[in-house]
Amino acid sequence: MPDGPLIVQSDKTLLLEVDHPLARDCRAAIAPFAELERSPEHVHTYRVTPLALWNARAAGHDAEQVVDALVRYSRYPVPHALLVDVADTMDRFGRLTLQNNPVHGLVLTSSDRAVLEEVIRSKKVAPMLGARLDADSVVVHPSERGRLKQALLKVGWPAEDLAGYVDGQAHPIFLEQDGWHLRDYQQEAVDGFWAGGSGVVVLPCGAGKTLVGAAAMAEAKATTLILVTNTVSGRQWKRELLARTTLTEDEIGEYSGERKEIRPVTIATYQVITTRRKGEYRHLDLFDAQDWGLIVYDEVHLLPAPIFRLTADLQSRRRLGLTATLVREDGREDDVFSLIGPKRYDAPWKDIESQGYIAPAECVEVRVALDDEERMTYAVAEPEERYRIAATAKSKLPVIRRVLDRHPDEQKLVIGAYLDQLEELGQALDAPVIQGSTTNREREKLFDAFRAGEVKTLVVSKVANFSIDLPEAAVAVQVSGTFGSRQEEAQRLGRVLRPKADGRQAHFYTVVSRDTLDSEYAAHRQRFLAEQGYAYTIVDAGDLAGPGEVNGPDWVDEPAD
Amino acid sequence: MSTEAPATLAAWLRTRSDEQLRALLAARPDVARPAPSDVVALASRLAVPVSVDRALDELDAATLQVLDVVLLAPTDGLPPDALVAALPEVPDEVVEAAVEALTTRALLWGDDVLHAPDPVRRAVRHPAGLGRRAVDLRLQLPADLPAAVGELDPEERAVLERLAGDRPVGHLPEAPNGGATPARRLLQRGLLARIDALNVELPRELGLLLRGDRPYGPPRRRPEPAVVARDPQVVDRQAAGAALEQVGRVGELLALLEEEPAGLLRSGGVGVRDQKRLAKALKVAEPDAAWLLELAHAAGLLDVGGPHRDEWLPTRAYDVWREQDLADRWAVLAAGWLGAVRLPSLVGVRDMAGKAANPLSPDLVRHTAPAIRRSALAVLTEQPPGSGLGADELTALLRWRTPRRADRLAPVPDVLAEAARLGVVVGGVLSTGGRGLLAAGEDGAADGVRGLLPEPVDHVLAQPDLSLIAPGPLVAELADTLSVVADVESSGGATVFRVSDSSVRRALDAGWSAADLHDFFAKASRTPVPQALDYLVDDVARQHGRLRVGAIESYVRSDDHGLLSQVLSDRRTAAAELRRLAPGVLVSGLGADEVLTVLREAGYAPAGEHPGGAVLTRPPARPRAAGRRGTEPAAAPRPLTAADLETTVREIRAGDAALAARRGEAVRQVPGVTTASTLELLSRAVREGVPVWLGYVDAQGSGSQRVVQPVSLAGGFLQGYDERRGESRTFAVHRITSVALVEDDGD
Repeated sequence: MPDGPLIVQSDKTLLLEVDHPLARDCRAAIAPFAELERSPEHVHTYRVTPLALWNARAAGHDAEQVVDALVRYSRYPVPHALLVDVADTMDRFGRLTLQNNPVHGLVLTSSDRAVLEEVIRSKKVAPMLGARLDADSVVVHPSERGRLKQALLKVGWPAEDLAGYVDGQAHPIFLEQDGWHLRDYQQEAVDGFWAGGSGVVVLPCGAGKTLVGAAAMAEAKATTLILVTNTVSGRQWKRELLARTTLTEDEIGEYSGERKEIRPVTIATYQVITTRRKGEYRHLDLFDAQDWGLIVYDEVHLLPAPIFRLTADLQSRRRLGLTATLVREDGREDDVFSLIGPKRYDAPWKDIESQGYIAPAECVEVRVALDDEERMTYAVAEPEERYRIAATAKSKLPVIRRVLDRHPDEQKLVIGAYLDQLEELGQALDAPVIQGSTTNREREKLFDAFRAGEVKTLVVSKVANFSIDLPEAAVAVQVSGTFGSRQEEAQRLGRVLRPKADGRQAHFYTVVSRDTLDSEYAAHRQRFLAEQGYAYTIVDAGDLAGPGEVNGPDWVDEPAD
Repeated sequence: MSTEAPATLAAWLRTRSDEQLRALLAARPDVARPAPSDVVALASRLAVPVSVDRALDELDAATLQVLDVVLLAPTDGLPPDALVAALPEVPDEVVEAAVEALTTRALLWGDDVLHAPDPVRRAVRHPAGLGRRAVDLRLQLPADLPAAVGELDPEERAVLERLAGDRPVGHLPEAPNGGATPARRLLQRGLLARIDALNVELPRELGLLLRGDRPYGPPRRRPEPAVVARDPQVVDRQAAGAALEQVGRVGELLALLEEEPAGLLRSGGVGVRDQKRLAKALKVAEPDAAWLLELAHAAGLLDVGGPHRDEWLPTRAYDVWREQDLADRWAVLAAGWLGAVRLPSLVGVRDMAGKAANPLSPDLVRHTAPAIRRSALAVLTEQPPGSGLGADELTALLRWRTPRRADRLAPVPDVLAEAARLGVVVGGVLSTGGRGLLAAGEDGAADGVRGLLPEPVDHVLAQPDLSLIAPGPLVAELADTLSVVADVESSGGATVFRVSDSSVRRALDAGWSAADLHDFFAKASRTPVPQALDYLVDDVARQHGRLRVGAIESYVRSDDHGLLSQVLSDRRTAAAELRRLAPGVLVSGLGADEVLTVLREAGYAPAGEHPGGAVLTRPPARPRAAGRRGTEPAAAPRPLTAADLETTVREIRAGDAALAARRGEAVRQVPGVTTASTLELLSRAVREGVPVWLGYVDAQGSGSQRVVQPVSLAGGFLQGYDERRGESRTFAVHRITSVALVEDDGD
């Protein structure tokens, strides 16, 4: 096909021209073995990694299908060497298998003796293996299952895990689909996860990841441990489960700093699990408290390192990871994949937006010129102070006010990272502030008031980065952040992406100080969303038009009375 | 022809037909140049050891086995029937073809009885892998050889069996504390002969005994390799993929080297550091970077240059190359590789001293490389399009075909891997481009891939994430510009560029204005330019140029500001083009020498100053190495054409006839000294119309004998007609070495 939609690059990235008539077919053909890396407006980038190829093998695709898909949709001839490399890589999968042996328990067997010899001699792998049974198999301690898989992946001989999962203690859970239905992509995500056994589902913020979790639970019909980032989001999970499933109040326990309940479905925070007293993790027995049939990791991109280690011991249980942005600034994405499981479902944000499940968003970067005094302070500041000085510049205040004035009748969030700046904003804007030290009770109260529309503007710190469900928020103004964190940016945008009742647009403003580190970091932060297809509009503060003015917001709410 | 069997090689050659002689010269072209004057000269040329070796090297294993039979025959000479009988397992037609091949090459001669010339005997050291006879080894074998062998222990027998295989000579193992190894025990028994301090040889008698009824070893039949079959269209598409990849990569490599040349090591070649840098920039493994360097060099696109001739730089040929279309660019690379006398696969291989060879180092030169490549690929050309051989099969076939050159076959697998990388071969099958390359060189290669490679595109797609995607190979001009204003993020069929602060800054540094950049993006992009891109350009442009850096040729400085002002306002120093840069410093665009001269002439007493840390400016022109003149590899000898062969055979025949002509007493003369008797004899011949026999040395110094029918003799030149050669020509009398009248022309 001389005019296919796909261009295969030497570094095994695939460029897919979105407007091509065959783009949809091509996407379906390459999705099993290539990871979506970027999805800007015209050309999407996929990457073929060994991990992705092995996952494809695990999911039952063979090298021939992969090669065929590449050759069929490629616009230009594909180098033979690349195809050979793909086939070779896929061929490495499955030489080793992990199986349950009725006598010896977990056993690593090989169809290729040389490979087994090689991994047995590997320094990284050897300590996890037990007695050699015969020429082709060796005993593995069950607790090393996860670590062994990880180590084998690193030496390039991934093992096919056929040892299966324990069913866990059965517990009836059903979805109550009255008046709502699982969306297509949610159903696909659940099916993809269930077919694969364990893995990660990547969906944009606001696209209903909780429902994917609930549906997975209904699929497992077993006791479930849900790990979340904080108490508030834990309570949201609980609310959602009560509303959408047959689970009742009594069946759902909260295991947090405040309460330690263990019920058939238990929601625990990362924080409480990783709390140490006298150098020991106090709450590890939680994992053994029930014969869990499913473990759900919410916001898996935030999974703290100790949980990685714990998770390695839980390889015989089904694991579901949920996230919007598998961009870890610590680069441990691979650990997530190898311990929780491979990516089972992924959809470009813009696809979901076009289906109407997340609100379309307008992203605007508003540039503020610092006044002379601020510029001087900035110029002479220590390098480590510079970002703070630029981000918290006083000159931003009038601009923030002006931005908020553009949307008089919307629910607005002002998000920042520096507490003194937030306090100041809270006072200046006459809005309540929620930050780390705000008690859970206070937070819930304020969020409720916000949801009810009693409070129009909330000033929030990093605590609002994740898992806070504020469907009514339609405008977010970002005033400072954690340096150049891409996933923070995506999470913050996620706060306003809940679809609005009347299909209104959401607005996401970033106020940055011009010609400073602030704008440099902003550019870096925007990269993830730009790659997801969000186009940022850059506006100088002076040019920021009010509602009804030229270039101002298109619509005006019902006039205030 | 005489009825008696010819007694010597020369006599036998004389009985060969013209056609057979032409075949001989075609098969052994080295004896045909310069043309031998007659059959005797031809025979002695054929006996030159180098020529014999070369002829034997060309023979396949089956033919050599037939030769072995003759060499091992107890008598000198063997009738062809006996030959067939000696190799019962070999089909008759194979034996006949082998005899034909050997006689054609005069490696065997005779019609009814086949003889091997002595030089051939000497050239084959171990016929059929058997050692010399015991007599020649000065070894007294036991009288009852079978019995002596029968009582050996298995270890000793194993040693003998091994030596009775392909090679009768073996290395004597180091004896631990003088112990009796099997080989040493065999030496003591007198079953092995010691030929030097380290080696032993198995006597022929013993070898024959051990081989039993196969004295010449197993029949060496042509291996029947398993043929790989592939769809030729698929092969061509994949080859085109490889071609595209290589052309792209070489282009990128050279662009990098243009930006920052690689240093030339004292030992030649490119250093490991540069190799690493290039690999990193190209996002390939280091060995791949080495291969690309070698490939670019082989194609004449990369060579040593720079002001001190210590840098690896793109050559001028590169400027031409990058303007060519993709097919031609690929053809240049492929043809360069085919003819290169270097083996890129040796990069990184450690030598005896444990030092790894660097890319482009002179240690990689192997003059046999082009021949190896051609012989390996020639095997594939014999296959019909769409079928080919795997590397192992191909090597086995080559080993059978030229067993005496087996030591040269080591690089073949690497050569095939390189061919696959280039797209000459895909999975063991020659691509159309590869076939074209072998048949018709560069043009053939280009024609083979044309139409398979994409047309260059002249636009990019700009995206909001600040990437620019060129959905295909770019036209050279746009590629140049983009390489300035953006960084390459991924390359291959398409190119992904990313515009960043630093790339915009680089463009501004290169003299672009913000307006130019906006303009360029708007024009080059087929999609609307994202606002973020425009802002990026403006942001960077606003910051650009607050600090100014310039280059000057020379400066004039003084602590005496007054003096400097005086110099500046002095009309006589206007020629120095001085201007004040800062208090105490004047600068000039002229060189220090010129400024010094002007100041001195104006009556000042300036002193020159060492430049110290002065920044050198880059020369305005792009640096280029001169490159090799012409990219043709060392010319192989021109093959003999049919016409050449015919002429040579005619010359030999004429010379031969001249030799044979019965003639009167010859008058000899030292060349250059014309004697009266020579002249007398010649004028008599002209007068009487009698043919003369001439010994003649031509202007090139090669001697010949000929029979000439003289026509005239004047001014020191003899005009005559040489019947044998069928030509009329003029002979300088002073070059004639001897003259005789032909008495009876009854030939």
